[in-house]
Amino acid sequence: MEISLQSLIPAPLKDRPQHAQSQIWRNNCMFHQGEWIKIQAPSGTGKTSFQHILYGIRHDYEGTVLYNHQNLKDFDEDALSKLRQEQLSVIFQDLKLFGNLTALENIELKRLLSPGYRSAESIQEMAILLGIDGILHQPAAICSYGEQQRIAIIRALMQPFEWLIMDEPFSHLDNANIQKAAALISSECKSRGAGLIITDLEADNHFNYQRVLYL
Amino acid sequence: MLNKLLSKLIKNSAGKTRFLMALVGMSIAIFLILSAVQLQVNYYQLLHAKDNQDSIANFLVVNKIMTDQNIGSSSLSEEQIKDIQAQPFVESVGNLIPSRFKAAIQSNSQRFPFYTDIAFESVPSEFLDVTPKDWSWNEQSNYLPIIVPNQFLDIYNFQFSISQNLPQLTPTVVKMLVFKVTIQTAAGPLSMNGRVVGLSNRISSMLVPETFMEWANKRFANGPESNASSRVVIRTKDPGNPLLVKYLKENGLTTDADKTRFSKYRQVVDFVVNISGTTGVLLLAFALLIFTLFIQLTIASCKDEIALLVLMGSSPKQLKRFLMLRFFPPNIWIALIGLILISVTQYWLCHFLAAKQIFLSPIISGYTLLAAISILIVIAIVNTQSIGKWLKQKN
Repeated sequence: MEISLQSLIPAPLKDRPQHAQSQIWRNNCMFHQGEWIKIQAPSGTGKTSFQHILYGIRHDYEGTVLYNHQNLKDFDEDALSKLRQEQLSVIFQDLKLFGNLTALENIELKRLLSPGYRSAESIQEMAILLGIDGILHQPAAICSYGEQQRIAIIRALMQPFEWLIMDEPFSHLDNANIQKAAALISSECKSRGAGLIITDLEADNHFNYQRVLYL
Repeated sequence: MLNKLLSKLIKNSAGKTRFLMALVGMSIAIFLILSAVQLQVNYYQLLHAKDNQDSIANFLVVNKIMTDQNIGSSSLSEEQIKDIQAQPFVESVGNLIPSRFKAAIQSNSQRFPFYTDIAFESVPSEFLDVTPKDWSWNEQSNYLPIIVPNQFLDIYNFQFSISQNLPQLTPTVVKMLVFKVTIQTAAGPLSMNGRVVGLSNRISSMLVPETFMEWANKRFANGPESNASSRVVIRTKDPGNPLLVKYLKENGLTTDADKTRFSKYRQVVDFVVNISGTTGVLLLAFALLIFTLFIQLTIASCKDEIALLVLMGSSPKQLKRFLMLRFFPPNIWIALIGLILISVTQYWLCHFLAAKQIFLSPIISGYTLLAAISILIVIAIVNTQSIGKWLKQKN
């Protein structure tokens, strides 16, 4: 699936002059199927807005977002949920876990929304890989932020997708854990032939980026 | 499994007691509506079933109420007869034509002497409850066939014969007797043989074939020529129809009150059915309202969870299905329990009434079942719509 952005600008950023330098805002750009893209963005440049616009949560923007030539604003709720179940997966900066569900239930919920795609055992395997197998039965609300980030990462991998969109997914992880998580994400994306878009404050080498863009 | 997780997220935070009360209201509503339907069906069954039906009841002899004002003009005009015929509860109307000549019957036998002045009436054959094979007359006929009310024979056998020390008669013997019918004409008395060919329960009149009546009235009538009917016999599906009774009353007409006795029962049944039905429908409306509010409260209190579920990619359809599964099944149970209760009552009623020679079906009617299904469909539609509406508002 190709993502095409045309003269995109969120309404709150419209009148701020510093976005004249941006390679995305008010520009035309195209993300090709399977591309790994890093978007480097200092605070206040609209990093989270960018992710929310792509995911169809925010609608207060000018310009257009096209998925395979289809305007995102024309997606009805069924089309949007199909997009989120089959083509787009996401790791939010604020994670958006259900605090009263356990870590396992949070991941399981996502797995069951795309029935038959991943086995229940795969959760266990990934949890072991990322070192959170011990807290799977704890309510997500009482897990540390780092643990919650890893829960959110595994959750995002429980569904089929063509694009994985991540917003500072490793902010609370140490380097060793970042490497493990990045390796898991890389292999999952490769096996799907999927592209990834990661937004972060600083430059990094977590993935083999084909493009780095400045927001 | 998914539903188990969803039910952990979407709780009945509006309170179990309230939900239970809404269900109780719904149960009473459904039971009342179904009872009303079954009661109505039972009543119609009683009215129309062959086992219960009384063939006399479907034919009513209607005449004007005699008052001081209409003495001498008791016959029904053509307009009045047409008006009767036009009523929805009347299937057909037959004119009863009275004889307009003087006549007498007299025994031929010395062993069994009798003499009496008499008058006849005639009616179209399709309104008779007996169809004797000799029921025809022409000028060449050897005797005049007559149909006599059963009541006459009863009066004779159980009163008259005893007081006069005469032999009692069976219907067969009566039909064998040949007597003399004498008509007073301008040219003197005209005699012919007469014979009873049938006994009727329906019309309390000495009946002769229409052909004879026409012939005799034309030739021997005392007064001016007239074909006016003294009375009419109407055929109706339901003599208990309150509309029929009302019509008769409004037009100064009367009939055998006993035959319209069902009318009073029916008004009572209608009243009970209406009260029960109306209360049921009102309760259903309230219960639905409470349900709708309940759904709204539940969705409002889980608004964040629902929003997050949608973010995770749950489709609105999945959520609707889940919420329907949460709210709808209790209604199916309620309807089932209502149907079972009514089935038990019906079975008991059937046995209880059978002992009194009133026959009802031991199982509930299809209409009751249909009513239950319709109520469930209404509940399903209302629930789906309110779930859809509130989900949309939360997104």
